[in-house]
Amino acid sequence: MSESLLYFFQQVINGLTVGSTYALIAIGYTMVYGIIGMINFAHGEIYMIGTYVTFIVVTALASMGIEFLPVVLVTALAISMLVAGSYGYAIERVAYRPVRGSKRLIALISAIGMSIFLQNYMRLAQGPRDLAMPGLISGGWDLSGEGPLALSLSYMQAIIFIATLVSMGALTWFISRSRTGRACRACAQDQGMTSLLGINTNKVIAITFVIGAMLAAVAGFLLGLYYGVVNPMIGFIAGLKAFTAAVLGGIGSIPGAMLGGLILGVTENMTAAYFSTEYKDVVAFTLLCLILLFKPSGILGKPEVEKI
Amino acid sequence: MANIKSAFFSALLTLFLGVSVMGLQLESAGIKLGVQVADSHTFWYLGLAALLVFGVQLFRDKLPRLRSDPEKRFEWPEVFKGEQRQRMWMALVIILMLMFPFVSSRGWIDIATLVLIYVMLGLGLNIVVGLAGLLDLGYVGFYAVGAYSYALLHQYLGFSFWEALPLAGGMAALFGFLLGFPVLRLRGDYLAIVTLGFGEIIRLMLNNLTELTGGPNGIGGIPKPTFFGLELSRRVDEGWGTLHEFFGFSYSPVHKVIYLYLLAFLLVLLTLYVIRRFIRMPIGRSWEALREDDIACRSLGLSPTWVKLSAFTLGASFAGFAGSFFAARQGFISPNSFAFIESAIILAIVVLGGMGSQLGVILAAIAMILLPELAREFNEYRMLLFGLMMVVMMVWRPQGLLPMKRPQRRLDTTRLASASTGEASNVK
Amino acid sequence: MKAAFKKTLLSAATSIALAGVAVHAVAADTIKIAMAGPVSGPVAQYGDMQFIGAKMAIKRINDAGGVDGRQLEGVVFDDACEPKQAVAVANRIVNEGIRFVVGHLCSGSTQPASDIYEDEGVMMITPASTSPAITERGYEMIFRTIGLDNMQGPVAADYIIHHAKPERVAVIHDKQQYGEGIATAVRQGLEEAGVDVVMFEGITAGDKDFSGLISKMAREKVDFVYYGGYHPELGLILRQSRDAGFDAQFMGPEGVGNPDITAIAGDASEGLLVTLPPSFDEDPRNADLVKAFKANDEDPSGPFVMPAYAAVQVMADGIEGADSTDPYDVAEYLRSHTFDTPIGQVAFDEKGDLKSFRFVVYNWHKDGSKTPAN
Repeated sequence: MSESLLYFFQQVINGLTVGSTYALIAIGYTMVYGIIGMINFAHGEIYMIGTYVTFIVVTALASMGIEFLPVVLVTALAISMLVAGSYGYAIERVAYRPVRGSKRLIALISAIGMSIFLQNYMRLAQGPRDLAMPGLISGGWDLSGEGPLALSLSYMQAIIFIATLVSMGALTWFISRSRTGRACRACAQDQGMTSLLGINTNKVIAITFVIGAMLAAVAGFLLGLYYGVVNPMIGFIAGLKAFTAAVLGGIGSIPGAMLGGLILGVTENMTAAYFSTEYKDVVAFTLLCLILLFKPSGILGKPEVEKI
Repeated sequence: MANIKSAFFSALLTLFLGVSVMGLQLESAGIKLGVQVADSHTFWYLGLAALLVFGVQLFRDKLPRLRSDPEKRFEWPEVFKGEQRQRMWMALVIILMLMFPFVSSRGWIDIATLVLIYVMLGLGLNIVVGLAGLLDLGYVGFYAVGAYSYALLHQYLGFSFWEALPLAGGMAALFGFLLGFPVLRLRGDYLAIVTLGFGEIIRLMLNNLTELTGGPNGIGGIPKPTFFGLELSRRVDEGWGTLHEFFGFSYSPVHKVIYLYLLAFLLVLLTLYVIRRFIRMPIGRSWEALREDDIACRSLGLSPTWVKLSAFTLGASFAGFAGSFFAARQGFISPNSFAFIESAIILAIVVLGGMGSQLGVILAAIAMILLPELAREFNEYRMLLFGLMMVVMMVWRPQGLLPMKRPQRRLDTTRLASASTGEASNVK
Repeated sequence: MKAAFKKTLLSAATSIALAGVAVHAVAADTIKIAMAGPVSGPVAQYGDMQFIGAKMAIKRINDAGGVDGRQLEGVVFDDACEPKQAVAVANRIVNEGIRFVVGHLCSGSTQPASDIYEDEGVMMITPASTSPAITERGYEMIFRTIGLDNMQGPVAADYIIHHAKPERVAVIHDKQQYGEGIATAVRQGLEEAGVDVVMFEGITAGDKDFSGLISKMAREKVDFVYYGGYHPELGLILRQSRDAGFDAQFMGPEGVGNPDITAIAGDASEGLLVTLPPSFDEDPRNADLVKAFKANDEDPSGPFVMPAYAAVQVMADGIEGADSTDPYDVAEYLRSHTFDTPIGQVAFDEKGDLKSFRFVVYNWHKDGSKTPAN
């Protein structure tokens, strides 16, 4: 392959990786939105908590002398999902359930407040500075060419991409096939009617939040391993991008979150590759505006029907 | 003790949440990441917190409910009722506000000025969010446009504050108008994200266009407003001279702070007055009509395009005024001052105030800016408390501090009788 | 770190409480010094450095009998590194009648705050703000005990031209005042010497993924990268460069030169070039002071610790030397005298900058240590 073609494909791979990290977080966002129609601004913070817990578990295991990789990874993932799930549950009970009947803006402000709270809570709990952990999984494949210009794909990049696909698939299955998933969809349609049919809507919504939080923990775990750094602010930045991705793909649609994330990631990287790194966010947001201009409810979102 | 199970569960959950992130402390020891068990204080506090949760949950039914009754509307005490009395009270408040800087200290005057800037911003955003019901998460962009308009006009063309103020408002309005176009078709959360993106684009452009805006270095040396051409400073190189020389009193730097405060106050009064007029005009009513029902609004012959555009444009222009005033107060601006969190704070002011209510916005701005200032003693916990306050306020009073009341006039029955006979023209 | 911080707080609280007792006894006899910087917010960790340095200086000066027999009293003000809050803090400091300020930390806060101090005749010494703009306005009351961005840039450029001699250079920065300032100075130095700067780009602070940038640098066949900014981003760039097989020589300013960069980048930090002020905590003359910090469980190696110490000391010496607590007299005295501080001989020029502040190029190693390059 010629050099410029190699470069192009390398940048596509880079973009797809960044995109799947956005998608991984965006899936949780979009699921909660799809079912109760609220933007869970604190979702990024749950992701941040998941990363912290991963760091704590991995370091604690290492200090106990346990370094067998599968054990470390499974324990870290399981514990961070458990903790994140509990946080998701608690947040829903404290900050969202009491305002559920009110206007949507109220819930949004409550969520922004929660997000600020959690950021500072973690800052007090674990300190404000960047903490770093050595990578556990390194190496990769050289797909074509060699040297620094080779087209390469690292194991972590592949794992993140696959994990995003798997989470998407599992979630889609859960929503469309399982009993609870059906109850979730019923809630999304009409909460009043659902509860009349004997389904505990409070429980269904709580489950939605717990699953959303667990997905955020999966993202926190993987990205924590991939980048190897954490600080209390990572959730906010990642959350904003994930939110953008979710809306771009059509908020509420799970494949949409994936597609939105990938488009956003590739656009950013292409801008950085052929234009300038400084303008990648500007281009990303401009693209968002343009797409919404022509598809006002995102790429895969269902158009809102005006009922008269 | 029906609650004992749930109380136990809640206490356990609290303990788990706390211990899971605080029980082990990550520490970077040199270049390695280490972990150590937190000191015993942490565990005592967590245990205490769990016990507290247990207690609260156990006696949940007997405790007063946190949430205020949404049906119960705030009623003004009798002394505040009636147009005559209200005017009197308002005059009294204005006089008190005018007297405030002369009896207060410099630090407080400055905080009050900051509060007034946020009141202005809150009132402006209130048009878009509270009245027209369009969720705008990028309002800070217009604030930035206003601030940079003044700074750039001063830097390149030597404009003074008073010359730049209307232009800054105009520039912000223009940007509001430009944003209005693409978002006309969008609704709800899609609108929110596009406005958020727009605000970010403005901030990033200001940061990237280093040749024009100084990029991250910002723009410094922005002069304070003058008093009819007289400067409020110790000495002046050119122009008309200084205020204290002109009027022959001795110079004190506090005058500058007081002057800024008074200006901010006047600008807020003006903003209040103008928006109050707008609300009562057909255009204000059409904003509310749009908020309540898009389709009904259209079928009544109101053009949603025009209504939305006017809300965006007018709302943005007030942010522009506030922005140029902010630039004057700071003397130095950089893109960092216009991050997303500012938008969130302004939005929180509007929602907390009770969407659409002007008095509510004022009270909320005071609460949002003043409480963190008062909490300065808890430096470390300030932002934590700020976040918590936003949640608690929403749970406590989801309808806002002072929900909006539509301007209304009750008909007295005698007039009503005559009105029914055909003299409906003088009844509003 | 956390434990150290708690102890600091505790000891600060105790000392303030004790000072409070003293205040009642001899109220007029303390001289208040405001310490302004971020206690909260994302850069609070740098604020910490400034506070421990200043507090240590206050404690040691007081233990030695104070200034002309008067005790110093430190008061902490939190500006969260936000310009808006910095102005509010400055007004409060003026309001409380404090005439001496150590701070602020971020150039973005120092700049608007210094307008107020200058106006009010409050003396300010910043131990951390490196933006040249701060002292370019001809102010009387504004000093600093740290080097400027445009002092560090030429040192780096000089080293690149004469020692590294690269073919194709990329200059990257984080689009913030500090990073872009240094990066611009470096680029200017390089271009004047005819070195080929093939890339000059900004990244976003807080980003985590730099693979796109690294591929781009690899394609441009860059063999030397200068990064203007702080350690979290450069650490990730190094780490991801290593993974991508991109092996150019990297160099950064003092914002990247702390052990955390090795914690993030691991082995990839071996051989990184860093311009740093000479490490004051390794200076044998400061051994005693370093021991005092260590006894408090505090880390004296942070770049702003010793400059903050020096700032307080210079103030105290100035007050003593001028025999006056009028900031104008003290400022006058500072300009005309030389002081012996933990950061070496300190003398100020007309603008309030240090007459000399040396930067040295170091080689960074993968165990977090450093050795002088060349």
